[in-house]
Formats: sequence, structure tokens, C-alpha cells
Amino acid sequence: MTKEEIYIKTLEDNKRMSTQELLQLITSKINEGYTNFKIDGCGQHNIGGSSWAKDRNEELTFRITNPGQRAGAMALAGTNIYIDGSAPADVGWLNSGAKIVVNGDCGDTAAHCAAGGKIYVSGRVGTRSGALMKHDPKFESPEFWVLKNTGSFGFEFMGGGIAVICGYDCDNINSVLGNRSCVGMVGGTIYVRGKIEDIADCVDIQSLCDDDINFLSSGLKEFLKEINQNNLYNELTIWNEWKKIVPLPDNKKEKNISVAQFRKTAWVENGIFGDFIQDDYKVYNLAATGEGRIRIPAWENNNCIDCKICLNNCPQNAIGNENKIYFSDSEKCIGCGICEAVCPKKCWEMISNRKEIS
Amino acid sequence: MATISINQLHMDDLPWIIEYDETKCIQCGKCSASCSFNAIKPVVEKRRKPSNGLQKPAFENILVIKQNVSFENHCRGCGMCSRVCPNGAIKAIRNPNDRYSVRYRAAKGDSLKKGGRSNLNTEGRTLDKIKIGRISQMTDPSLDAARHKFELRTPFGRILSADKLSFENKDGKMQLSSQLPPNRWIYPIIMGDMSIGAISWRMWEAMAVATAYLNEVMGIPVRMCTGEGGIPVRLLKSKYVKYMILQIASGHFGWNRIIQAMPDMVEDPAGILIKIGQGAKPGDGGLLMASKVAKYVQEIRGVPRADLLSPPTHQGLYSIEESVQKMFLSMNAAFNFKVPVAIKVAASVTSVSVYNNLLRDPYNIVGGFFIDGLAAGTGAAHEISLNHTGHPITSKLRDCYLAAVHQGRQGEIPLFAGGGLGQTGSFAADAFKLICLGANGVFTGRLLLEIAGCIGNDTGKCNACNTGLCPAGLATQDVCLTKRLDIDVAAQNIVNYFLATDMELKKLMGPVGNSTLPIGRSDALITVDKHVANRLDIQYVC
Amino acid sequence: MCRIGAIKSKKYLHPSIALKLMRSQQKGHDNSGFAFVMQDLGGIFAAHKDLPLLSMSATVEGTRRAEDILHNLGFTRVLQWSPEINNQKGLKIEPMPNYIFETFQYPKSHKYATKEEKEELLIDTALLLRKELEKDNAGFIFSFWPDTLTLKEIGSPKDIGTYFGLWEENEDLCAKVITAQCRQNTNYDIVRYAAHPFFLEGYTILANGENTFFEKNRDYQQSLYKGYIGFESDSQCFLYTLHYVNKILKWPIQYYKHTITPLPFEEIESRPDRDVLLRIKASLSHLEINGPNTILGVLPDGKMLCVCDSKKLRPVVIGQDEDTVIMTSEVTGINDIMPNRDISKDIYPNEKETIIVTNDLTVERWQQ
Repeated sequence: MTKEEIYIKTLEDNKRMSTQELLQLITSKINEGYTNFKIDGCGQHNIGGSSWAKDRNEELTFRITNPGQRAGAMALAGTNIYIDGSAPADVGWLNSGAKIVVNGDCGDTAAHCAAGGKIYVSGRVGTRSGALMKHDPKFESPEFWVLKNTGSFGFEFMGGGIAVICGYDCDNINSVLGNRSCVGMVGGTIYVRGKIEDIADCVDIQSLCDDDINFLSSGLKEFLKEINQNNLYNELTIWNEWKKIVPLPDNKKEKNISVAQFRKTAWVENGIFGDFIQDDYKVYNLAATGEGRIRIPAWENNNCIDCKICLNNCPQNAIGNENKIYFSDSEKCIGCGICEAVCPKKCWEMISNRKEIS
Repeated sequence: MATISINQLHMDDLPWIIEYDETKCIQCGKCSASCSFNAIKPVVEKRRKPSNGLQKPAFENILVIKQNVSFENHCRGCGMCSRVCPNGAIKAIRNPNDRYSVRYRAAKGDSLKKGGRSNLNTEGRTLDKIKIGRISQMTDPSLDAARHKFELRTPFGRILSADKLSFENKDGKMQLSSQLPPNRWIYPIIMGDMSIGAISWRMWEAMAVATAYLNEVMGIPVRMCTGEGGIPVRLLKSKYVKYMILQIASGHFGWNRIIQAMPDMVEDPAGILIKIGQGAKPGDGGLLMASKVAKYVQEIRGVPRADLLSPPTHQGLYSIEESVQKMFLSMNAAFNFKVPVAIKVAASVTSVSVYNNLLRDPYNIVGGFFIDGLAAGTGAAHEISLNHTGHPITSKLRDCYLAAVHQGRQGEIPLFAGGGLGQTGSFAADAFKLICLGANGVFTGRLLLEIAGCIGNDTGKCNACNTGLCPAGLATQDVCLTKRLDIDVAAQNIVNYFLATDMELKKLMGPVGNSTLPIGRSDALITVDKHVANRLDIQYVC
Repeated sequence: MCRIGAIKSKKYLHPSIALKLMRSQQKGHDNSGFAFVMQDLGGIFAAHKDLPLLSMSATVEGTRRAEDILHNLGFTRVLQWSPEINNQKGLKIEPMPNYIFETFQYPKSHKYATKEEKEELLIDTALLLRKELEKDNAGFIFSFWPDTLTLKEIGSPKDIGTYFGLWEENEDLCAKVITAQCRQNTNYDIVRYAAHPFFLEGYTILANGENTFFEKNRDYQQSLYKGYIGFESDSQCFLYTLHYVNKILKWPIQYYKHTITPLPFEEIESRPDRDVLLRIKASLSHLEINGPNTILGVLPDGKMLCVCDSKKLRPVVIGQDEDTVIMTSEVTGINDIMPNRDISKDIYPNEKETIIVTNDLTVERWQQ
């Protein structure tokens, strides 16, 4: 059984109904079974939000003028909100399924965190609109339709859902999405018509494909009908004027060259010390062999008794001998000094391999 | 066996003792091979075999690793031996009975020299007693460090108060009507200030490459200071010189080549830094031990191999007015008044007077005031200077900032603070706190060495930069040690550290709600130490 | 968040319009106060637009002291007006004993003084009055300037309106420029001096948001000019910077935005005026603001101004019809006063804009 529309006037004789008074009045009327409301607001917050009809099969409808912030906030499926005129910040915040039609402009952060339902705006929306929109796959994707343009910093950290910014009547502005939009966007799709600039570099700007066009052509019809602008359909369906913005996949993100590549390709050729030092850029390990040794063994045969103790004790197997002449293979020797230590006749001496570059 | 007298240097006198487990040792020799200090060596030890009492005692010879005991060759605790040992058979441990400094002085009749940093940490760090306590939550939205835009730039160069800007109003548009003092917007962290000679050519080049990379690839306008040992001509004549701040100190090393190269330079340098003093050894000049005066260092500096001592002061400067005139004017003139000229002094009780004098300089040619605190590093210094002279950075920086505020001239000569930043692990936190206390930026040298592989610390590990035997190839000119340093890895690590620091600075700027540097925003800071609160004029909390 | 409003009209308006403008925005009120500044006055003050008008509230002793000071300086009273007090029971207001709105003739010594000399006398006198009244909380001086009337009081805006009879339109008290706020802009003590709008030498500012660079701003401003005092609210800094840039430095008004929210470097670098902008950024870095702020203002020549912070964190909207332009935090206030305007002409300023409303009500939008 449908009851008649309830009309609530919130300002009379300089006396304004507070938000709490209004919201409680609405709730009590809903509990009485009313589903249709006409509300002349005076800046009261959260009108139309978080309510459901007593009979869950019925829909709630709110026709509102001059609402305050967060009109339709946390609204559920089955709620229809029609705002005549402009509304301040946070229209459709956390929208979870309602249809919200604004015949006018929205303030900042419209559709903020919306995760369901449809928001239709016949004018502009403010800064940070569409930020953190999301899509829970168990529910239908949220949609956010704007006839004109958005303020700056829109769609920050967007995680899902669909936004459509039609760029109507925007010939005089540089960017239909304002500045620095889409920062941190990781999911969802934005369709936009008209000039855009200064979009964050974490997104990819693409042309429409057939699926996009199908979605937009049917969606636009519905949108324009809701805002009584059917006549704009032809003007808004010139598809080459549209673009699609999606998060940039990881493999498309630009990678910087390494510092090593930079040194080899862009840096001063042969190094800045190249006129003094012929550096081969070789890197020595700790306990290196060859030229990397801090100390090197020198052998003198004065006292050698050919006992082979050095040869047998060298951990690197670097020592060889031929005709009682002992030598150390610099390719194997690390300069540990064991030969010097073990030689009973002190034939081996470790000498410094310190030297300066030239 | 030699007799032992009590006055002979003994292992027990040394700061580090080698702990060696022969049961784990496989006698691979890597430890002794890797020791740049020649502090350990393999020796054959005579051991008595267990006897059943019936036979005469038998002996055997076994190969072990022993520590050398001499003033020249002894362990600095660098730990290369334990890095290379496959079995964990060897390590250096701190000797609680260390009497080295007494023994050294008694034996040599000379002052003890060290490198690196002071190892006498009696003060504790003021910066660690400060927290960022003013967090934006309700009234002013905080920012997302990863995703919002931040501007980490600070001016370098003399800034005139707005009423002295030579602006002309042409049809509602302001225009400059005359040349103003040069002014550059740079990243708030200046790196380097370590001379060619004090550090190896590879380390120096790694810093220069990292600087260029951060600028050209990452778009982070970091500047590097050359230190007082000149600059390679090839860099001077390259486009990358625009990222370099040329230093002149009392030794004036390398300036002959800079002057010779001027006509061929394609870019102006980023700035000039006149070094008057340094925090690690205030009142003392630079010191480069002969062991590090390699041939190319001799050429760039124009000196033979010898211990190079920069005089404690610039001989030509006998008053602040002379300093301003001679050094600042000449350095400004050298680059046609287009390059900022700044000064670096050691933090001192007198720093504020110097700063005030410079602020009042009518010629407006002083483009930055660098204050270096006592925890700063050095390539070589007398231990007495390193441990017992100097002034902590924090209150001095604050004093200078508040002195400028008192005159309404904050920001006119940008303040840069340094000396031991990042000592307890977080360079970004130190930088941020100093910026809130009034610094336009900070500078660091020692930390870069640690990023590149320096294993020294504040409690006596290594700190042997003065010996030229740096096991990490940083503070040495020896080929086989220097080549231990992979220039690309060192440069990449510096770059990575800067990127991490950049993110961490944003992680601090975000919560206080600022996207530009909070210079002088001491309201963001709190401390649980009442004395610190009073001294720095920040909020005491408990 | 404080809601703020500024109205400029071709017609003389009564301050009740400000109360109505703020009524629907009252979720931002905390009943901490109501304040307004009226400029370009009509009604009984219209005849003396060139003469300084003193707005103060004071105790009896404070009133006497102020009058003595003015008398000794040679000021002579031309006109006195007091609001009719309607002290109903139960009003949330903390009234002062006297509310004084007096127009004065300049001292004889200033008969032939230049405009600058007269202005100097007025600011010095205002500072002296404030100092003398502050000693024992004897009163508050809000403005002493030609063609400017200021009222600030602690309490519920609605009740303050009732107390002063401001809900009733009254031809004596009207102006073409009215700025108002229904909340004290402070997170700290509730004091009258912390209430918006702030006024200094013909410049009026009202703002919302935390000034995160308050300390930097204040530390720098304190030594810039003798009139930069108080700092009871972090938003006074916005006024002093406006005054400094426009009146002391004599820079065109668009440089206000360049001073408080300088452009990012990458944008400056590509501009022809980069040298000038970088110099401003460097020299006035201590006047930068970095929090969430909307700033509305009135300039000495009667123009109205609106700028936002560089992240555009706070709301503001501008609505207009043929006779009137209104800037305010939320569109609801404009909807109440101008329900029939063309909403497509509403302006939602962006983070780079300076909006100027000229005296013929042209709305100029300058991109930074």
C-alpha cells in the first residue's frame, strides 16, 4: 500500500529544523510506512541516507531542495534521491546502491567512496570527486555520471567503479578533470570527453573500444533521461571525443636505467679521473688473487732445503717448483703468508703489494 | 724466545683482540690475506703434546693465526677476517683493558691521530630526544607520502627581504629590474664535502655519479660539495659541474686548476663553499696523511707527497669583514656574481656572532651558512681534537635560526646543518627535525661512506681513515684496496639511500600536514627532556 | 570547519542577510561567537564616509579611558550609535557592558595631513587604545577606520543576532560589503580578538582551516610591521600577509596567491615570469601557507577577494545575481538568499584561482 507523499519544510519563521530533528522525523515516518518524501531543506546533512522502507520490497523516494552535506550518504539500493538545485560536499558518500540525481552542481568529494548505485549530476562536481570509489564484485559496479566537469584531484586512490565525465559546456576550461586527477588510482574506469591535462602518471589514457561504446551509448540515454537533457545525446556520442582512463599496468610503467648504465652511457667518458687513472673498473674481492693481493710472497733460495712444506701447506695450491726453484702462481695466490710462516728456513717473505694507481 | 719487558707493547694494550678458534680453522689463509692493517698473520706455534709422564715431553708444530702487536700493525676491529672466514673461526673483539692511547703517546712523544669520528660519546644525541609530535588528524588533513605531491627544495644563495627585491610593476606584472644575488633551489640534503685524497678516486667518483644520476634520471636536485681537495678538470669542464659545489678551504688546494679551467667551463658550478672550519676538529685545519697523497692527488693539489696540513685559518683573513670582502667578494666575482657563495664553520659558542655579522653584511653576498657539529666525520685528525673539541649541532643551529628571527631576517642566509646526522640510523628523521628547528637543509659526508661500505662506527670500530689502509676501499689511495669498491654498487647504494630518505622525509611531512619543507616549524616537535625543551624552545611533553 | 561568508552588493544591505547566509551552514558553528565587518556603509554612517569610525566593546571604565585617549589626541566625536539591546532571558551570549560605534573628526593637527599621515595616526591610535584597554580587560577595539563597522561577540550566532536586534532589518545600519563568520577561528581559547573577520587598515580577511605554518608566519610577521600583533588566531596571518604584499610592498593583488601558495617548481620553471616567482618564493617563504584554507577578503578599494589553498581542501562557492555577489563556504547559504539565480554562473574556485569582485560586481577569475 503506497501512502501519500510527506512534505517537510525545515525553515519556518526564522526557525530552522536541525539535522537530527529532520532525520528522526523521516525515520519515524518511514516506520509508519511512508516511502515518498518532499523536503525543503536548509542545509541539513545526510538527507536520504542509510534508510530503507519498512516493507523491504518498496522503494524510498526523496525529492529534496537545498540539502546540506552528504545528501544520500550511505544510501542503499531501493532509495531514489532527486535533488533540485545544487548540493554541497559529499553527495553520495559511501553510496551503496541508491540512485541519486542532482539537478545542479555538487560540491567537493561527490561520490567519495561510492561502491554501488548510480549518481547522476546535471552540472559540475567539485574537488576530489570520485575519490576512493570501489567495486565489490558481489554487487553491481557503482556509476558516477557528470554532465559537465570535475574539480581538481578527482578520483584519487580510485579502486573500482565507473565514472563518466561528459565535458559538456566546457569549451572554456583547460581540463575537464581539473588538475592532478587520478593520483594513486589502482582500479576502475573513467570515461571522459573533452580536454584533459595534468593527469597522474600512474594511469593509461586509451581510446574507446566497442564494449566501451556500447556501455556509454546505453548509459548516456539513461543518464540524459534522468537529468532531462535527452536533446544532448547526439552531441555527446561522437566517440572520438572520448577517452578512457584506467590504471597503468605494472609492465607498462617506465623503468629507470641503472646507475651503472648511466655511468657507462651518460657520464664523462672514461671517468672524471680518466686523465690520471686508467681504471678498468674491476672489483677485487676480499682475499683476492693477483693484483688484488695486499701482500705477495717472495722466495729466495739461499737456504732452501727443498722440503716442500710450503708447497704442501699452501691453501691455494699456488706454489710450484722446478729444479729447486719455488714460485707462487699469482693467479692462485691470495697472499695469506702461510708459506712464510711454515718455511723452516725462512725462504719466503711477504712483501707489500701496495701501489698507487697510474 | 725473546724476553718480554713490562714496557713493551702487548696484545692486552691494544683496543682489539683477535679471538681465534683453531679447532674451527681450516687454514685457508683468507683472514690474513684480507687484512689491510697487517694485524694478523699465520705463524707456526710450538705445542707440547700431552705426555703419559714416562717419556720426555714431545712437541709439535701447528699452524695458527696470531695477531700482530705493534703501533703500526695492529687490529682496528674492521672485521674483514670474520667476513672471509668460512667457519667463523676468527673475530676481533673489543679489549676492555685497552691502554693503547697511553702507550702510543708514551712511546712516540706525538699526539695520537685517528680518522672517522669521535669515539667518546658522552653527550647522547639531542636529536634522538625529539619526536615529531604534532600530527595532523582532524583540523588539517595529513598527506599521503607515496601519492601526494611534495616539494622538497630549499633555497641556496642570499635571499633578500621582499622590500629589497628590485621589482618593477609593469602593467600589473612584476619584473626584475636589476641582477639580484644568485639563488638556487636545491634538495635539502647536500652530499659530500670529502676531499679527493681523503677518499679514494672511486668513492669520490661514485658520489659524483650518484649526484648526476639523482638529478638527471630521478629529478632530485641534490648537490655535492667537492671538499677541499679540488675537483677533476674533466668534471669541471662537463655539464655535470652544475651539480657541484666547489669548496675552498685554508689550504686552497686545487684552485689553480679551477681557475685555469674557468674559460672552458660550459656550466656554472652549483655554488662555492668557503670552509672555515669543520665540526670534527674545530679550530684545526685539514689533515691529509702522506700515505694518501697519491700522484694524482699531488697533481690536483699542486704539492709533493707529504703530510698535508691545511692551516687552521685562512691566512688572509684576520676579521669577519676581511672574510666577507676577500673570500666572498672574490668568489662571487669569479663567477660573475651568478653563483651562490656560502661559508662552512664548525659549530661553536661563537657561531651566532658570525652569523649575525654575515646577516648584516651590506653587500648581500653571503649565500649560505653551513654549521658543522661535533659528531662530524673526518679523514684524519688528532684524537684530542676529535674527542674533545666542538659543539653539538642542534642547539647551535637553533640559536642561529632564532637570532635571525629576532632580527626578522630568517631565511635571508639559508642555514645548513651537519655533523653526525644519521648516526643512529635515521638520517631522514635527523634532517626533518633540524629543518623544523630552522635549517634550510642538511649536509652529510660520513654517512655516504657508510652507505658505500664503511664499517666504522662510533664506538671505536675501525676509524682508521688516517692510515690510508681503509679495508673498504673508501679512505685509501691504494690500488688493491680501492678496487675493492665497486663504483657502480657504491653509486647505486647512495642513490637508493637518497630515494629511501626522500620517501621517509615525505613520511614525516605528511603527518604534519605539509607538502613543502616545514623550515622553522618547531611547533611540530616535542621532547620528553625538559632541558632540551627549554634550550630549543620546543614543547615539553611527558 | 568554520563557515564564512562575504557579500558585496550594489544596494545597501542589512547585516541580517549575513545571519541568513550562515543559517543553513550552522553545522559548522559551535556557538562560540558571531562577528561581522561592514564596509561601504549606508544609513546613519553614510554622511561621514571619510571620517574614522571606532568599533569597540568595553566596560564603563574602558569606555571612559578610550574616550580620554581620543580626546587627548585631539579627535572630536561627530556621531555616536549604539545597537538597541534586546536582552531576553536564556540567550547564549557573554555581552560586554558597552558597545560603541562612534565617528570622529580628525585632530586639528591633521587637518591638512596626507592620506598616509592620517592612516598612520589611525593605526597608532588603534594600537594605543588596544594596549590601554588590554591592561585590565577593559575592552576590545575591533576597528578604527573610515567607513568600517565591526562587531564581535561570544555566544550563539542566532542569540547574538537577537541580542543586538540584528534579525530585524533596519535602515540605519546597512552596508554594501558585509563579511561574517559564525564561529571563532581558534582551536584554543575563545576570545573576542580571535573572531573573524580580521581587519587592518582597510583590509578584511576571514578564513577557515588550520594554518599549519602559523608559527613560521607569525615569527616572520612580528617584525614586519607594527600592526601585526595579537595572533590570537592562526588566521590573522592571512590578513597580515595580504596587507604586507598589497599595502606595504605595493604588489598587485594577484601576487598574494603567489606568496601564500607559490606554484610548484616544475610549473614555475616553464613560465616567462619564473625569475620573479622564484624570488617571491624565496624571499617570502615564511609567509607561505600549507594547510587547508579558504580565504575571503575585502580590499581597501572595496573589491572582494577569494583564494584557496594549493590543494583546495576547503569548500567555497560564489553565487551572483544582478545586484549582489556572495562568497561562502557552502552553496546552501546562497540557495537560501538567492534561490532564483542562474546556478550555471556559480563559481567553484580551484586551487590556483584568485577571484576578485570589482566594484561594479564584475567577477574576475585569475589563474595563478
